Amino acid sequence: MIVCVLLPRFQLTVAASDRTELLQAPAALAPDLGGVQAIGEVSLPAEAFGVHPGMRLGEALARCPTLTLVPPDPAGVADSWERLLVRLESIGAAVEPERPGLACFDARGLLRLHGGIESVLAAARRALRVPARYGLAPSRFAAVAAATRARVRRPVIIRGGRDQARAFLASMPVALLRARPVLAELPEALERLGVGTLGELAALPAAALADRFGPAGLLAHELACGGDGALRPRPASELVRESLELPEAASGSQLERGLELLIDRLLARRERRGRTLRAVVLSAVLVERGGTWREQVVFREALADPVRMRLALAPRLDAIPAPAEELRMAVERFGPPASDQRGLLEDPAAARMARLREAIRQTRAAAGPDAALRVLEVDPGSRFPERRTVLAPFEG
Amino acid sequence: MTGPRRLAVPRRVAVSAREDGCPETVDGRAVDSVRESWLIEDRWWTDRPLRRRYWEVVTTCGRNEVVFHDLEGGRWWQQR
Repeated sequence: MIVCVLLPRFQLTVAASDRTELLQAPAALAPDLGGVQAIGEVSLPAEAFGVHPGMRLGEALARCPTLTLVPPDPAGVADSWERLLVRLESIGAAVEPERPGLACFDARGLLRLHGGIESVLAAARRALRVPARYGLAPSRFAAVAAATRARVRRPVIIRGGRDQARAFLASMPVALLRARPVLAELPEALERLGVGTLGELAALPAAALADRFGPAGLLAHELACGGDGALRPRPASELVRESLELPEAASGSQLERGLELLIDRLLARRERRGRTLRAVVLSAVLVERGGTWREQVVFREALADPVRMRLALAPRLDAIPAPAEELRMAVERFGPPASDQRGLLEDPAAARMARLREAIRQTRAAAGPDAALRVLEVDPGSRFPERRTVLAPFEG
Repeated sequence: MTGPRRLAVPRRVAVSAREDGCPETVDGRAVDSVRESWLIEDRWWTDRPLRRRYWEVVTTCGRNEVVFHDLEGGRWWQQR
């Protein structure tokens, strides 16, 4: 049983901060600086004008000329979301954060701990301490759909298996598929073809959908039939963070001195326990409510040397779009304990293998777990080419 | 990636063929010559037998393609 926790318009709410009146009027998150000119989350009044997340800025303004654009606050969103995830994890849940404002976890392992599904939901509600919508269903997609139908105090619970999930989804619009980035374009095409609900989609033959839409069509069919992939919970993380308030709006060399101070403070933290830093997140609060700026930096080699860290991080400060009033730095991932010294009589083959493992770790830290794969021969003599080899994770 | 992924998985392809089964066009490209053709049969003792007629052809634009006709399902597939 998958539980979905949904906080609607989370990023917009965090970005609006105490300006809650913005959420009562047509408003949307402004596009990222230098990114695609598409708006982010939109307020309820903006939705009434037909504006939806991901819409091009020009089209959104044409549909709703009074639309207010709220500068995004990526650092604030990441901080708030991390706090909420840690609270959810405190009840024993292995949480998969899908995007800020939407997280799922499998409730099966928690049933005995808390004494039933209602108790699990109650524990999650108590731990989270903010109003959220809860959906519970056999698959992740159905749980997300259930959460969109739920009220803050009234969770929607779909008991049973795949068939019950399919029956629940049948009357829902295909627009729900937009929640999956790979299916973002599909609902529009389906609606043009007269397929308006997930029930109509599930009734179509899978082969016909594969012919017309490829893998996206098959995935959409699987979701509409009440299936979905397994959850991939995030690994347990530690929050080690330092921040520095800058008395005057700072930029250039002042920021670099602030960065030096932050690095020294972070390396002095007891929680580091002698470990190196593999990846950090630099963020800044911009002046005049200009939002925030955030960038993840993965070091080429796990570091504990402040000078080398400063060399790697200082150029990133040039990307801050406006003077900053606060600079923050957080550890995203720790490396092994600081020790780069190699043995005098080290076996060259072992050293080469260690360097290769290190390179693979770096590549995976920067580009994800699929970054290093190997072709594995399974049945090289098979007459069927697809049985001869598979692509498997590289084990260094 | 959650587990191993197969390589050289067949992909659907649009093929028009003559009555004897020899491809005339592959994905709209006319076939210039047939280099080789072979038949593979397997799992004939199960409920899901595999029977494929493979064709290695060269199209007029110079591409070397390997396609097969699934003699059980009736569809055409491309494979590297």
